[in-house]
Amino acid sequence: MICKNEVCNDRKAKIHQITHHPYFGFFIITFLMLMVQLLRVIGVPISITLLRAFGITMIYIIVALGFSILLGYAGLASLGTAGFVGIGTYLLGYFTKNFGLSIFLVIVISILGAIVIGGIVGFISLRIEGMYLAIITLGLSEILNEVFKNAVSITNGTNGLGLNGILVIFKNPVVVNHNTIFIATAIIMFFMMVLTLNIIKSPTGRAFLAMRNSTSAAQAMGISILKYRLLAFVVSTVYAMLAGVIYMSYISFSIPTTWSLAFSLNILAAVIVGGSQSIYGIVLGTFMIFGLNLGVLQQFSFFQNNPAISVVFNGLLIILVIMFYPGGLIRLVNTTYHKLKKIVLKLMTKWRVYRYGSDN
Amino acid sequence: MFDTTGFWRDIILSVGILFIIYTLLKIFVFKRFKNKDRAKEVGLNIALVLGIMYLFLRIYILIDFNLPDVIPAGNFMLSNILNQTLQVSVLALATTGIVLIFKTSTTTNFAQGIIATFGAFVAAKLIQNFTLNYTEMSVTTAVVLSMIAAAITAFIIGIFVDSVIIRNSKDKTPVGKQMITMGLVLVLSGAMPLIFGKILLPIPKLSYAPNIQFTFLGANLSITVHAFYALIITVVLLTILFTALRFTKWGLGVRATASNELVASMMGVNTKIITAMSWAIAGFLGAVAAVLLTPNATNVSVGLMTPTQVNAFMAAILGSFSSFLGPLVATVLIPVLTGLLSLVVPLWQNAVVYLIILAIVLVKPMGLFGKKVAKKV
Repeated sequence: MICKNEVCNDRKAKIHQITHHPYFGFFIITFLMLMVQLLRVIGVPISITLLRAFGITMIYIIVALGFSILLGYAGLASLGTAGFVGIGTYLLGYFTKNFGLSIFLVIVISILGAIVIGGIVGFISLRIEGMYLAIITLGLSEILNEVFKNAVSITNGTNGLGLNGILVIFKNPVVVNHNTIFIATAIIMFFMMVLTLNIIKSPTGRAFLAMRNSTSAAQAMGISILKYRLLAFVVSTVYAMLAGVIYMSYISFSIPTTWSLAFSLNILAAVIVGGSQSIYGIVLGTFMIFGLNLGVLQQFSFFQNNPAISVVFNGLLIILVIMFYPGGLIRLVNTTYHKLKKIVLKLMTKWRVYRYGSDN
Repeated sequence: MFDTTGFWRDIILSVGILFIIYTLLKIFVFKRFKNKDRAKEVGLNIALVLGIMYLFLRIYILIDFNLPDVIPAGNFMLSNILNQTLQVSVLALATTGIVLIFKTSTTTNFAQGIIATFGAFVAAKLIQNFTLNYTEMSVTTAVVLSMIAAAITAFIIGIFVDSVIIRNSKDKTPVGKQMITMGLVLVLSGAMPLIFGKILLPIPKLSYAPNIQFTFLGANLSITVHAFYALIITVVLLTILFTALRFTKWGLGVRATASNELVASMMGVNTKIITAMSWAIAGFLGAVAAVLLTPNATNVSVGLMTPTQVNAFMAAILGSFSSFLGPLVATVLIPVLTGLLSLVVPLWQNAVVYLIILAIVLVKPMGLFGKKVAKKV
């Protein structure tokens, strides 16, 4: 189709404007997620496990986004993610069961708590760096795990804490439908992606990047290490605890064994495999690590009978990506896309030459 | 049984007192020193030693206060420390492996525990075979033979990991290598049930002889023979390793690689072989540790070494990665403290120990025995 008049050009420009908007990709991802839910409501046979897998993956995408700000931008390696997500889940469980608080209030409480905890970890990160920080945060996560196991009056110990339903308004127990929470999760994920993009593209994000490359150079340029390290940890902890609250409202069950070292390592793997500096990369990585196993492989009876094989597959994927594509899978996707584009353009010029004859 | 709230109040009080002592020292004593950094370090060390001594004393008093008059608390503490012998030796082996790899490859090896567990699976399979086919073989021989097999398996896996996977990887940053070891954790933990199937028999102890009884400082103490043998094996292995590090050409190469890999390779040290060997030796030590530890767990399982792995990281941090002997002191401190605290604050002992380590590392970021490394800008 070749445009000749003004109206057509205008329309083309508008479409270009929409498709090249920075939020367009996020919108598409959210839309696809919502479509899965919608199709199921209409009556397309999508199994509940597949839907659950998508829901959990979305929640983990939120965690991974927070972690990518920490690792990919601020350059701080932390292995305490699991503990923070766990705190979020138990906050919702405890406050709903014992005080009958509404979920919105719990979210506010968890954000306040996250600011405090993130601040503490941030202060620790001022003194300890690199691998040492990773191991210290691992120790912190282990402490939190011990608390989850032993503070029986709050967390119900190793039996796990169950929840009958969340409260939307005070003292008004409403058992919210899981479908509603799925939709809410998708919308929250969209806003978290937008927030992440805005943080990354703002002066704060550039300060993070400067700090990651060289703390001394960043300080010389007038960037306060204290402020931005604290901020990085606070942001990532807020993401993690918010994801914890959503997880609890969606799954309605939280058990200490979930919030172990393996979870933190898997989040780290998702961020590294996808590409730690790209939001699409993180989405891709989280789907590869969590979604592929939960959603796709578990659908086949072969993998259901041998759950170990999917674990091996995940591990091999991580090793291969790091061995051959250190920038993450998103770089592989981008390079293949550009190569394909080049080939298509070449073929089109050839076809034009064949159709209309060459210029000379 | 014990007054827990008193313990918590005490910890807060003691930290406060230490802080006040440190401030007073800083104001009145260290001003006179000429070298301020050195003075600060000495002050910190004095405060730390006082703090750890106070902690042990406090636990002693708590135990003494709550015991019937017949048993002296000293005996109780000593026997508790002896009960931790097996844990100490296992932790020492695992930690040495981790520190060795950190020094030569500058990465934290998350796969240390899982490689060791792989060895333990091999050992369990072999022992199953021995008990079925060679009934006249004694338990000790079977365990020792399978332990050697396990150690050799882990040795080969270690070489494979370094020379095939890490050397060919494009991402050679510490985080990249760390991720590779994480991937290995997933691969091996998935592969083990597939390869070995279900293992019904546990690994037996090295010996089921009655406990060794002896008197020390007027206290009747006893130690299991298994723990005693484990201690001997650990001491022998670590002595050989440290002697080799100190006196052989290979040890010199390891130390050179540890201080600077690039310069070492320029000076003619074959750093490839050095790193591969350190991975192999770490696997070897880990597998021995796993086989020694298994009889205390009920059966061989994939998560066998996970707690040891976490504790080993903690010990390496506490004792500092930059020395070999520092982590060994930490490996003694951590299980002993855990054992004692389990009497005072049951269930919370691990959390308290991690908190103490966290506090110490916050005060001394390079660990108890680490030296500050000047960073180039």
